[in-house]
Amino acid sequence: MIAAALFERSLNHLLRQSPGASEVLRRHYGRSVRFDLAVTQFDFRIADDGYFSEAVVDVPDAVIRPTASLLARLPFFGREALRDADYSGDSAVLHSLDQVFRSLEWDAEADLAPLVGDIAAHRLAAAGHDALHTLQHSARALGQNASEYLLEEAELMARKVDVARFNRAVDTLADDVARLEARLAQLEKARQ
Amino acid sequence: MDKTTHFGYQQVAESEKAAKVAEVFHSVAARYDLMNDLMSAGLHRLWKRFTVAQAGLRPGMKVLDVAGGTADLTRLFLKEVGETGQVFLTDINFSMLREGRDRMLNEGRTPPTVQCDGERLPFPSDYFDCVSVAFGLRNMTHKDQALAEMNRVLKPGGRLLVLEFSKVWKPLEPAYDVYSFKLLPLMGKLVAQDAGSYQYLAESIRMHPGQDELKTMMETAGFAKVSYHNLTAGVVALHKGFKV
Repeated sequence: MIAAALFERSLNHLLRQSPGASEVLRRHYGRSVRFDLAVTQFDFRIADDGYFSEAVVDVPDAVIRPTASLLARLPFFGREALRDADYSGDSAVLHSLDQVFRSLEWDAEADLAPLVGDIAAHRLAAAGHDALHTLQHSARALGQNASEYLLEEAELMARKVDVARFNRAVDTLADDVARLEARLAQLEKARQ
Repeated sequence: MDKTTHFGYQQVAESEKAAKVAEVFHSVAARYDLMNDLMSAGLHRLWKRFTVAQAGLRPGMKVLDVAGGTADLTRLFLKEVGETGQVFLTDINFSMLREGRDRMLNEGRTPPTVQCDGERLPFPSDYFDCVSVAFGLRNMTHKDQALAEMNRVLKPGGRLLVLEFSKVWKPLEPAYDVYSFKLLPLMGKLVAQDAGSYQYLAESIRMHPGQDELKTMMETAGFAKVSYHNLTAGVVALHKGFKV
């Protein structure tokens, strides 16, 4: 009960903060959307004002399932990671949902302002943004360092270009062996 | 012969229960909020905020607060539905409703205020986005009829929220009994000069259906996807259901 209400509130809050998002969804008034999170699922209907409303749904018009890849990429790539979700159902609804999700923008500063004041909210939001940016940068750097170690130092993995070069060398060797076999066969024939 | 029903631990004629409940609330209306704060140590405010958070309200929606009394929920609902929405404050008891109406007026708000019986709601069918009844269903004589009425006035897809005392977690029962039957009437006597009404409160809580029974009653009344959430170890439970 709590999770569904929290999900609904958060989603609608983001829609409210993203100009034009609810207008896009309003076109699909009455259609149902299921967020299938494996352990639980949340069913919503698009209300006449273009927001999500928790509902009783037997067969949803659209189903969205987060994938492992989405969960892994979400903290670092934000909205871009939503592309990794598994979408199925009515293509028109899904197209609008994709359009809406890409436009969602959380205005943390606006939410913090009534609690801590405008200046503190601005500084907190900026600090949060910087922290997230640093985290993303660190994660990318860590990933690059790890791949460099595996490629160059430990040589546990091969670079694409090296694999291609190796494949070409194998092809050349196979051709040379074939030619040598043919030559040997010819010499054998001449001796007889 | 008139059918009987419970009034606390007493059996009374069905036709008499409403008047007896009315007496209780006439007696406690003036000190109702103070007693609520004392009895629950302020927790009733959190329970009500939790209820409103589950309502999924947005600006422009219409809400019916059944047995709204001193308008605790109405004022929270009003914040959610904004200027374009509407919240109807209703109660069968005039003394309680007057407290709620005056409080709203003092805050500069004038929600529609209607004295009516929760078992016969004077509203059209399919009208409200949300109906709530907080600490009121317990006092109704025909709970099934009241739930059916709430279902009728809800729009399809609308939700009913029932906040009510419920069955407390078993290990806490002895302590809860001592609190309910010894301390509550004493507090009632000292603060509201009315021990009897608070004795009724404790008894009516014990006679009210438990979490699963109420869930079944809501399903029987036509609600779907009925779920409940225990608050404070089951002292109170919030039931939520949808009209299909």
